[in-house]
Amino acid sequence: MDERAFSAGQAFLLSAKLFWTHKLFGAVKDEVRTASPQPKTLADVAKVLSPSTTYAYFEWFERHLQKMKYSGRYGLVPHADGLRRDLLARLDVNSPLVQVDPALPMPDYYTSVDVHQHPGGVWSDELAGFVYEEGARSTTPAMGVKHADLHQRFTDLIVSEGKPKRILDMGCGFGKSTRPFYRDLPEAEVTAVDLAAPCLNVAGVQASQDQARNVRFLQKNAYETGLPAGSFDLVTSTMLLHEMPPEKIEATMAEAARVLAPGGRMVHLDFHMLPDAFARFIHYGHAVRNNEVYMEPWAEMDIAALLRKQGFTDVTIAPFAEADNVPPDAWRFPWTVISATKAA
Amino acid sequence: MTDAPSLGPEQQFFADPALDRMMGVVMAMAQELYVTRDRLRGLETLLAEKGVVSTAALDRAPTEAEARARQDDLKEFVGALLTPLLAQKTSHG
Ligand SMILES: C[S@@+](CC[C@H](N)C(=O)[O-])C[C@H]1O[C@@H](n2cnc3c(N)ncnc32)[C@H](O)[C@@H]1O
Repeated sequence: MDERAFSAGQAFLLSAKLFWTHKLFGAVKDEVRTASPQPKTLADVAKVLSPSTTYAYFEWFERHLQKMKYSGRYGLVPHADGLRRDLLARLDVNSPLVQVDPALPMPDYYTSVDVHQHPGGVWSDELAGFVYEEGARSTTPAMGVKHADLHQRFTDLIVSEGKPKRILDMGCGFGKSTRPFYRDLPEAEVTAVDLAAPCLNVAGVQASQDQARNVRFLQKNAYETGLPAGSFDLVTSTMLLHEMPPEKIEATMAEAARVLAPGGRMVHLDFHMLPDAFARFIHYGHAVRNNEVYMEPWAEMDIAALLRKQGFTDVTIAPFAEADNVPPDAWRFPWTVISATKAA
Repeated sequence: MTDAPSLGPEQQFFADPALDRMMGVVMAMAQELYVTRDRLRGLETLLAEKGVVSTAALDRAPTEAEARARQDDLKEFVGALLTPLLAQKTSHG
């Protein structure tokens, strides 16, 4: 595939996605806003939107723009496939910063669905880390190219409350959530874990380019890390929890409690707080259309109660602004920060 | 694209599944069109850089003669594009 055609084909999709984010979503929202009587429950919203042609287009575009992004003629997967040898040559399989574990079992919930409609998921193909990295540039189109800001803002928020020395980033992917920590806190030791070796390898390339010495990427399961008990001051994750079934979330929180030192803080960024029935309807629809099977059960979980039951204190659940000027009527994820402290 | 094994039918959003499928065709075509437009722009930029054509000359409004010549072409183009909307047979049977 020629690079110019790939770039134009992807630019077209992103532009269509922006239209979807602002115009189509705005039109759908208006249909609900002007409905009479005002829908109050999920079922009410469904009653307004199910017969709506605008909503059918909204749904179609949500599913198919993402599908075309990954799988179409100018899709990320065929594009990476065409560059296979070059891309593999960019990976440093002997990087001292990365430890993969080919024997690590992949959980069923993880392998049975291709989340984000990424064929083969982020774990099965050696190139999946590159594909995911490229794809992540346009997941939150309302913010355009400034997606990196989201992770930086989250790190800034945590650091504003104190500088942790020993940090664990669970479900680090290709290291986008880890990077602001190892760069902004050179004194800290950062450990990042993920199930996907192809993503960890890409994270390693970036960290070497950054000349980072204070980070390591380990192929491990977040809810069974095998890391020493009480060995971290901060456990964090970004967009990990919604990918897990409730019992694994519970196990992940218990694992965080185990590896945290007494008084240590746990802060997760994910999609959780849904202010009204419309937001809920749109989010659950997104989950179905984007192959995010566990998004809905996670949003329905009483996470605060679970954390208190597990012995955490100072539990807070708060909305998170992913950018400075979030347009009020554009589609967006329900960003939420979930934090808690391990009792001292 | 290689023929991948079937993973099962796609989700349906319109009352008539024909529309779901047709939207896919329309969007693939629109994407191709944009890729071609982009290539053309690239070609023009290169040609202009080499002094073969001038972008200003390409962008100016067509002369009357050009506009007339375009009419026939356009009539054929639009006819071919929109005739299917009339849903008429072109053979007996
Ligand atoms: C949406 S990505 C987010 C990646 C990264 N934190 C970021 O913000 O860019 C979710 C990641 O969670 C990982 N993941 C899912 N289940 C996991 C588990 N049980 N243990 C470790 N990682 C997991 C996936 O492999 C994927 O890389």
